[in-house]
Amino acid sequence: MRLPNPRLLLAIPAIALIFVFMILPITNMAEMSFRTTGTKDPFGEDYTLAHYLRIFGDTYYWGVLLRSLLTAATVTVLCLLVSYPIAWHMSKAKGMKAVFLYACIASPLMTGVLVRNFGWMIVAALNGPLNETLMALGIIERPLRLLFTQGLVILALVHVFVPFMVLPINNALRNISPTLIEASTAMGATRRDVFRDIILPLSFPGIYPGVILVYVLAVAAFVTPALLGGQMVSYMPTLIIGELTGTFQWPFGSALAIVLSLSTVVVVAIFTALTAKLMERSKA
Amino acid sequence: MATVEVRDLRKRYHNFLALDGVSLKAESGQLVTLLGPSGCGKSTTLRCLAGFLEPNGGEITVEGVSILSTPANRRGFGVVFQNYALFPHMTVAENIGYGLKLQKVSKSELTTRVNEVMDLVRLGGLGDRLPREVSGGQQQRVALARALVLKPKLLLLDEPLANLDARLRDEVRWLIRDLQQQSGITAFYVTHDQSEAMAMSDMVAVMKAGRVAQFATPREIYQKPTERYVADFTGEANFLPCTDVTPHGEGHYSIAAAGTTLDLDGVPGIAAGAPAELLLRPEALELTAPEAGTFRGIVTKSAFLGSALHCEITLPDDSVLKLSAEPNTPVTKGDTVGIAIDRSHAWLMPEVAP
Repeated sequence: MRLPNPRLLLAIPAIALIFVFMILPITNMAEMSFRTTGTKDPFGEDYTLAHYLRIFGDTYYWGVLLRSLLTAATVTVLCLLVSYPIAWHMSKAKGMKAVFLYACIASPLMTGVLVRNFGWMIVAALNGPLNETLMALGIIERPLRLLFTQGLVILALVHVFVPFMVLPINNALRNISPTLIEASTAMGATRRDVFRDIILPLSFPGIYPGVILVYVLAVAAFVTPALLGGQMVSYMPTLIIGELTGTFQWPFGSALAIVLSLSTVVVVAIFTALTAKLMERSKA
Repeated sequence: MATVEVRDLRKRYHNFLALDGVSLKAESGQLVTLLGPSGCGKSTTLRCLAGFLEPNGGEITVEGVSILSTPANRRGFGVVFQNYALFPHMTVAENIGYGLKLQKVSKSELTTRVNEVMDLVRLGGLGDRLPREVSGGQQQRVALARALVLKPKLLLLDEPLANLDARLRDEVRWLIRDLQQQSGITAFYVTHDQSEAMAMSDMVAVMKAGRVAQFATPREIYQKPTERYVADFTGEANFLPCTDVTPHGEGHYSIAAAGTTLDLDGVPGIAAGAPAELLLRPEALELTAPEAGTFRGIVTKSAFLGSALHCEITLPDDSVLKLSAEPNTPVTKGDTVGIAIDRSHAWLMPEVAP
């Protein structure tokens, strides 16, 4: 008997992990989304397309889906704008300064998700420090209602996802040889030209994973919209959890989850296709 | 087409003095080489010229006008880097045309000029490739084309051949020299390879610890070095300690070395009796019969190199001379031989404290 390729043997733990924790549950969920609603069990015995027809036939669900995707897109763009200068400074830092900056960047991830969001609730409360500071500075006269707004959800998500954007961009920026900047300067490029023509395109191998990570995480975020978004606006994750744990409509909840997953995949695929040429050229 | 002058250039990094008063001059159309080991300040000088570094003192003028306050992107110099520094995300043609694009020249002119210069450096047909898809020698030619297409006043080359293999190095070396002479562009060329410096330059500046040890033509640098450091760096050299230095007019001396007295030329201004060294390049020496030569010694090493026989001969005072003899010379280790000196190739230098 021939032994199988040892490299394939090495892959077995990874394959097993992905199979048990990703392929199986997703298959399970996909199958459940085609089941009828059960009364005694989580789902009925028969198969049906009713859940999908209901989602696509109701503009309410279209609206929630669109809001989820747009919010995630906004978070991603803001995250990119905030993260790029940070990543730039980080890529220039050496020694203890670099360590200190890494610690600062990772700090949002060092706080538990509930603590962090309750923290935001305190900060953004009507008589919280944010409003008091703004009033003390004379920028506003009456406290703003910040809590339970979409803006606060976006702000809190940007805050926690910045590390996922900064780290890959920092990495990509570190890989750009300083002589490229000198070469373009000698050819007459201003700082703006250098940024637009050299640094930005060459940092794309860092922007791309950052954008994908933040977008996917933002679409799927549940705790932050649930706690800071209040009851007035719904996002897909809150809706799905509501169906699964509130009304126990597992098949319908599964269908919503599948729709959300597929839409995210489509958005990622479009982004990848649009940037494929840039990625191909700029990768090292 | 510009005269470039560097005067008393100084650059300090923290506690390290990288440039300690460098002065050089390139006449219009000349290629001036900065030659020296790593850390001698040759690249620092070039980077000051390019405007990537700001010197702490001194002056750089082009056509008599100071350029120190002109930022690098407005100096209009072409720079070629050791690692080529091609933009990896742009094609060969885009790399070459980038400077023209910044100058907002029309699309048709850009294409014409890029194609012209690509033909000049023999890159025809490679315009659509990415830098990583062409060979090292071709990458170097792209870097050269990218600098030349802007018709720079000054061309700065920082060890442009260091990453090429020997055969390509030769080819690109002549290409650089030809293009530089055809276009009449003044050029500064940094290298640590003395043969490159000899072959290409109008003038060579041998650098040592942030200073110019000697600035002269390649011939003078090789045949009439001002100190041992220069002689050592520019080729195979024998040094013999001398005594009884007696000047006979400007640059002529009589000396005693290895038991013989000699009349020869040397660095002007060596005082009578001052410590001095005799420089004998291997080609100044010839093997003779033991009684016929200026010196007599014993062969302590002989190696057949094909085109020559490499010999090391120990003189009575234990100093060693290396020379290349005709390959069929019948000498072996232990033979007593004579050495004749071609006096026009001997040179006296003052002994400088290292």
